[in-house]
Amino acid sequence: MSDVATDQRERSGDATRSRGRPASGTLLSAVNLHKTYRLGRVDVPVLKGASLEVRQGEWVAVHGASGSGKSTLLHLMGDLDRPDESGGEVCFDGRTINAMTRGQRNRYRNRSIGFVFQFYHLLPELNVLENTFLPALVGLTRFGYYAHRAEIRGRAAELLAAFGLDHRLAHRPRELSGGERQRVAIARALVNRPQVLLADEPTGNLDEKTGAEILDLLAEQHKNGLTIVMVTHDRAIADRADRVVELHDGKVVG
Amino acid sequence: MYHVLLTNRYLTTRVIPLIAVAAVALCVALVIIVVSVMTGFLDMVKNSGRTLMGDVVVSYPVSGLPHYDRLIERIGVLPEAEAATPLVDGWGLLKMPYPEGPDKETETVQFWAVEPESFAAVTGFRQTLYWRPPEAEELEAMGEGDFRRDLLDALGEEDLQRVYEDGLRLEYRDAERRATPGVVLGMHVSVGNQRQKDGSYRPILGPRGYWWMPKYEVILTAVPVDSAVSIEPESAALRVVNEFVSGVFLIDDKRIIIPLEVGQNLLHLDEAQIVDEDGEETGFIDPARATMVLVRAADGVTPDALREKVADAYEEFRGELLADQSVSLEVLPPAEGFGAVVQTWLQQQQQFIAPIEKERELMRVLFSIVYLVCAGLVLSIFWAIVYEKTRDIGILRSVGASRAGISLIFLRYGAIIGAVGSVVGLGLAYLIVRNINAIHGAMGAEAPRWLWVSMFVFAGLALLWTLWRTRKGLLLPVVVWALVTIILLGLGIALFFHKGTLIWDPSVYYFSEIPNHLDPFTAVTTMIGAVVFSVLGAFFPAAKAADTDPVKALRYE
Repeated sequence: MSDVATDQRERSGDATRSRGRPASGTLLSAVNLHKTYRLGRVDVPVLKGASLEVRQGEWVAVHGASGSGKSTLLHLMGDLDRPDESGGEVCFDGRTINAMTRGQRNRYRNRSIGFVFQFYHLLPELNVLENTFLPALVGLTRFGYYAHRAEIRGRAAELLAAFGLDHRLAHRPRELSGGERQRVAIARALVNRPQVLLADEPTGNLDEKTGAEILDLLAEQHKNGLTIVMVTHDRAIADRADRVVELHDGKVVG
Repeated sequence: MYHVLLTNRYLTTRVIPLIAVAAVALCVALVIIVVSVMTGFLDMVKNSGRTLMGDVVVSYPVSGLPHYDRLIERIGVLPEAEAATPLVDGWGLLKMPYPEGPDKETETVQFWAVEPESFAAVTGFRQTLYWRPPEAEELEAMGEGDFRRDLLDALGEEDLQRVYEDGLRLEYRDAERRATPGVVLGMHVSVGNQRQKDGSYRPILGPRGYWWMPKYEVILTAVPVDSAVSIEPESAALRVVNEFVSGVFLIDDKRIIIPLEVGQNLLHLDEAQIVDEDGEETGFIDPARATMVLVRAADGVTPDALREKVADAYEEFRGELLADQSVSLEVLPPAEGFGAVVQTWLQQQQQFIAPIEKERELMRVLFSIVYLVCAGLVLSIFWAIVYEKTRDIGILRSVGASRAGISLIFLRYGAIIGAVGSVVGLGLAYLIVRNINAIHGAMGAEAPRWLWVSMFVFAGLALLWTLWRTRKGLLLPVVVWALVTIILLGLGIALFFHKGTLIWDPSVYYFSEIPNHLDPFTAVTTMIGAVVFSVLGAFFPAAKAADTDPVKALRYE
C-alpha cells in the first residue's frame, strides 16, 4: 500500500513541477458546458452551462437528483462524450480537450484520467489481473508489451494486493462480490497512474457497509494525492468529499 | 496488444466462435470436396485416354490408312516418338458362351484389332489385364473373398501366368502349343462378371462352375463396308484369353481387343487383289489398312509437340503415297484442317472432356456462392458478437482504446475464425475425399441393424433426459434436448428405411470409382477465399463497433 502511495505522490509531484504550477492550481475544468440529447424528435437539454473547476489534489463531489445530468457532466469531463457545438469546453492541465486530435484524446483517457462506474464494467472474459492491467495494454504495441510485461503485471498485482485482492488474481469477475468488483475497477482506473479519478456513483450498487469500504479506499487514494471527481445522488456519500457542488437544472451551483 | 488478449479470450471462452468456425469449415469442406472430385474426375478421363490410346492418334475411320507400315516406319525414326502401333476399330456383335443351352446371348461390342506387342508398348494394355498371378504385395492386399485368390489356388501360378501371357499375345495355346486367335474382353462385356464391394470382380456361378470367361469361345460378327454390292457379315471364332479393366466404364463395358489380322479380315481391310467389274484380276494389289495409328511420346515430350512431328511425318507419307502410282487409289485427307486425322489423345477425347470441364467450371461458379454464404454467416455471427460486446466496446473506449483498435479486434477475430475454419474444413474435406468410395459404398448398402437400433436407443435416452430436464424449469436445455431427440429419431427412421442408393452409377459417370484425390490448388484457393470472406464479413461489424458511442455502450446494461 505504502509503495503505491509513494508512487502516486511522486508522480503527481513530478507532473506539478514540470508544469511549474502551484499544487493547488486548477487541473481539470468544465467551462459553460451545454449538452442536449435527442429523444425521438424532442431535444432534451441536460446541461445548460455547467461549469466546474477541480484543483490539483482535490476531491469534489457533484451531488444531484437522478436525471440531473451528473453522469453526462462526468462523461464530458472524461472525453467519453462531447459537448454541443459551441457548447463550452473541458480543459485539462491548461489544454482544451475539444481541440485535441483523436490520438491525443485517446491518450488523455488512457493516461490522464481513470473511470470508475456504478456497474463496475469489468470485461467478463478477462480475469481480475487482466482486467486491471487492460489500460496499460491499450497504450502499448505488442513489442512494448513484451518489453514492459513484468512491470505492467507487477504494477497491477501490487494495486490488487493493496486492495486486498491478491488471492483473487486468476478469478473471473463473475466469481467476485460487488465490493470486490468495484475494487478491481478502481485498481484498473489507477493502473496507469492517472492524475484524476472520475467516479460515477461508485457505491450506487453496493450495500452501505461495502460502499463505506470503497469510500475509505478512495479517501486513502485522495490522501496520497489523487484528484477525484465523484458524482452521487446520496448526500451522505457526497459529504465524504472535500467539496460538494450541486447540479441543478443543468447548472452547477454552490 | 490488448487486441491479441481480447481476441484470444473471445475465441476461447464463448460458444459463438465455435459455431462460426463450424460454418466456415463446412463451407470450405463443401467446396474442396466438390471441386476435388470434379478435378479428379477430369484427370481420370484424361489419364484413361492416355492409358487407352497413347499420346497421339492418326486416324482415318472406315476406309483405313493404306501402307500404314510405311507411316509407322517414318514415325519410328522420330526421336520424339517412343513407339507406334496400327489398329483397326469397328463395331460388331459378340455371341457369348452363356447361358446354358442353344440360345446364347449376344453383346454389341467395339473391337480394337491390334498388334499385341507394339500395342502394349504404346498403351497401358499390359497393366489393364486382370487375370494374372498377383505379386506378393498384391496378394497381401487382396481380400479373402477375392476371386483371383480362388483362381490362384485352382489353377496354380504357372497356369495363371499362361493365361496372362495368352492375353498379352492375343492367342490361345493348347497343350500341344497350337495357337488359335484370342480375344481379351472388357471386364463388363460379360454380364457374368460382378463387381464386389472391395472393387474386385467375381464371375457368377453357373451350373457348370463359374462363368469365368477365359475358358470359353466367343464368335465375333462384323459388317465390312467395301465396294461389294451386297453387304455380307463376316464372323470369327475367338478364344477368350483374358479380360481387362481400364477403369473407364464405357470402355470396360463395350471394348474387346483382338489380333490385327482378324480385325482386318472381318472388315475386309486386309491385303487383296483388285478385281475389275467382271471379276478379272487387274494386277493391282490393295494393301492392308489400319483405321488408326497410335503413337506414344518419348519421355519429356508433350503430346502437342509430338502431334506436330507426327503430322509432318504424315504429310510426307501422304506425299509419297500420292506419288506412288501403284497405290494411289484415293486421296487421303490432309493432317490439318477439316477432317483432321492427326490428333492428341486430348483432342481425340474432347467429346468426353469438354462437357466435364464445363461442368467443373459451372460447379466452381455455383459453389462460389457458398463463399458468399460463408461471408454472410460470419457477418451475422459477428454482428451478434458485436451486439453482445457493446458494453465491452464502451469500457475499452473509456480506458483509451482507439476506434481503429476496436475494429481491429473484430477483424482479427474474423481472420482467425476464417483461418481456423479453413484448416478444419481442409481436414474434413481430406477425410471425406480420401474415404469417399467407402462412404459411397456404405450409402449404397442397406444400413446395418445395430446402427438404426442404437439410434433409436439414443433417441429414447435423449427423450428421457428431455423429460427429466422439464422438471428443472429451464426452457433452453429442454429445447436443445428435444431437438437432439428428434434428430436421433429422424436418423433412426431414415436408416431403418434406407435400402441403399448408389449415387455414383458407373454407367453414367464412365468410371467405376469416385476420384479420391484432394486437389491442392483448389484446397489452397478455397482456404484463402474463406479467410478473405471471413475478414470481409467481419468488416461491417468491426466498423459498427468502431462507431459505437461509448456513453450509450456503457449505459447498455
